[in-house]
Amino acid sequence: MRDTSSSPSAHPITAHWKKFLVLGLMGLGVCWFFAFQGMLEHNYRPLLSVLVGGLFWVSVLIGLLMLTMITRVFDAGWAPVIRRSWELVLPALPLVLLLSVVPMALLPKFRHLLWDWTDASHLLPNGHEVGHDPILQAKSWFLNESFFLGRIFGYVIILGGLVWALRKWSFAQDTDRTAGHTHRLHAVSAVGIPLGAVTLTMLAFDCLMALSYHWFSTMYGVWFFSLSIRLALAFTVIITYRLSHGGWLDGIFNQAHRHVLGCLMLAFTVFWAYISFSQYFLIYTANIPEETYWYNIREFDSITGLKNQWWSVSMYLIFGFFLLPFLILLFYRTKIIAGRLLSVAWLIFFGGLVDLWFNAVPRQIADKSGPEGFIVAPFLTPHLFLDLAALLGFGGIVIAVFLRGATRHETIPVHDPRILESINYHE
Amino acid sequence: MNERNERIHGVACTFRRPSDVFHAAERVRDAGWKCWDVHTPFPIHGMDQAMGLPRSPIPRLTLLGGVTGFLTGCLLTWYMNSYDYPLIVGGKPYWSVIFPFPILYECTILFAAFGTFFGQFIFNRLPHHHHPLFDLPQFSRVSDDTFMIVLEARDTNFHLDESRNFLLSLGGQEITVIRD
Repeated sequence: MRDTSSSPSAHPITAHWKKFLVLGLMGLGVCWFFAFQGMLEHNYRPLLSVLVGGLFWVSVLIGLLMLTMITRVFDAGWAPVIRRSWELVLPALPLVLLLSVVPMALLPKFRHLLWDWTDASHLLPNGHEVGHDPILQAKSWFLNESFFLGRIFGYVIILGGLVWALRKWSFAQDTDRTAGHTHRLHAVSAVGIPLGAVTLTMLAFDCLMALSYHWFSTMYGVWFFSLSIRLALAFTVIITYRLSHGGWLDGIFNQAHRHVLGCLMLAFTVFWAYISFSQYFLIYTANIPEETYWYNIREFDSITGLKNQWWSVSMYLIFGFFLLPFLILLFYRTKIIAGRLLSVAWLIFFGGLVDLWFNAVPRQIADKSGPEGFIVAPFLTPHLFLDLAALLGFGGIVIAVFLRGATRHETIPVHDPRILESINYHE
Repeated sequence: MNERNERIHGVACTFRRPSDVFHAAERVRDAGWKCWDVHTPFPIHGMDQAMGLPRSPIPRLTLLGGVTGFLTGCLLTWYMNSYDYPLIVGGKPYWSVIFPFPILYECTILFAAFGTFFGQFIFNRLPHHHHPLFDLPQFSRVSDDTFMIVLEARDTNFHLDESRNFLLSLGGQEITVIRD
């Protein structure tokens, strides 16, 4: 057995972390540069690229955090060899928040452009200023700038704290070989799951739902959770594919692990569809203008009344993000053949981005040319490339954190009490 | 009466250890047997492959049931709300895929469950009130500490003496001929 007290010999692929860091810094440089320009030109859309790119990875990482805690609480026998990779990537969660959402919320000029309710002089489609909006005044106990900023910092502290605790005792077990750490992490996770659930719900409310502050949906937190878990599972399939083909999971990650991930992907694909449809269905049935407008601007052009680009995006979500992955994942062989599962994972990864676009980007822009005093921001704009730059930027940071972590810690939890069960996991 | 006692169901053979029965099963599989079975007190991982069992056909019946249920739900809601007694509710269309979706969804699940449940009845040939193995005194120990392989007489490979010797060569302990 290897002496784990000295620093473990790093796998060759971890040496790539510097390249990913460079990619990440370049992406961040590009998207933040254009965000500054957008701020000067009073254009909110480039700012949204930073938010969408950041929230995509926040979503992936929150999903991984929840999966880490859920597998701890359920004592999942299959999980330990995969969970260590999650633990290695998790410190990127507070980091990505600090590089995207936090500065956006902290700097007043960025905040006013993205969250228009923070700017009392912002003009609404009806010609009034935000400050005089009775709907906002009624919500002001929650939607006020100091509480908003406090919450944003609260998310970083709570999520960062959970990540810290989950890693601390898991890594401590590598050196002191104490089974007690597993019990302690069990308790941390039991507390962490409800804490994480409330935090991710509030985070989704503040970062996405509050972009259209008139609108509200009690399903929104659950939607964000289902999206996060789907993205986290897709991310796990993608990295384990690479790590089991010439990485440190080669010969460890087996068909049964893949089957478990595939089953979870199928389950959460259905769960996401159930939640997203329920939200639409309740709003459709109740037919209250305060709620329906959110879907109306995502279906109809405000000037011609015909279907707009967002309608096509929503159709992609139904058929490309739910039906196609669902039908492919139904087959047993999809879940055990590495290449097939990888393709579905990429499909879900892309679909998650489309879902974030659908939720974050459309908004009513006050404009006299629209019959109701507004036009809707279109989907197809050159800013999509900026979104991609932000996505690659934050992604580069995440992978760099992951690979660098793998140079400093064991890449599988060698003294986890369930490590043998996990390595020999069988369908 | 006498003639009935002469009919042979197959040959049973007990094993003491899971690894013995596992490797014996691989040999039976490689000898090309189709009508045979392994009985163990607990699930043995990898036994499916050792026996050469194909995947269960039941998921297909589940899918068939699900699709049938979805279409039944469509037909049901369309017939009632749009054809037989058209009724405007909340300004919504008589029939669309949105408002009856909970019904379509529930019908899908119900019929998929029917497909699964009755599918396993059909493939397990249930109900089956008695089985010749139940007359075997050793068979009760299969739920305790004994493993058993049964070669059935309806398999084309079956010849009473040869099959008995084959099982002995696999390391079996106690050979019993099962009569119907």
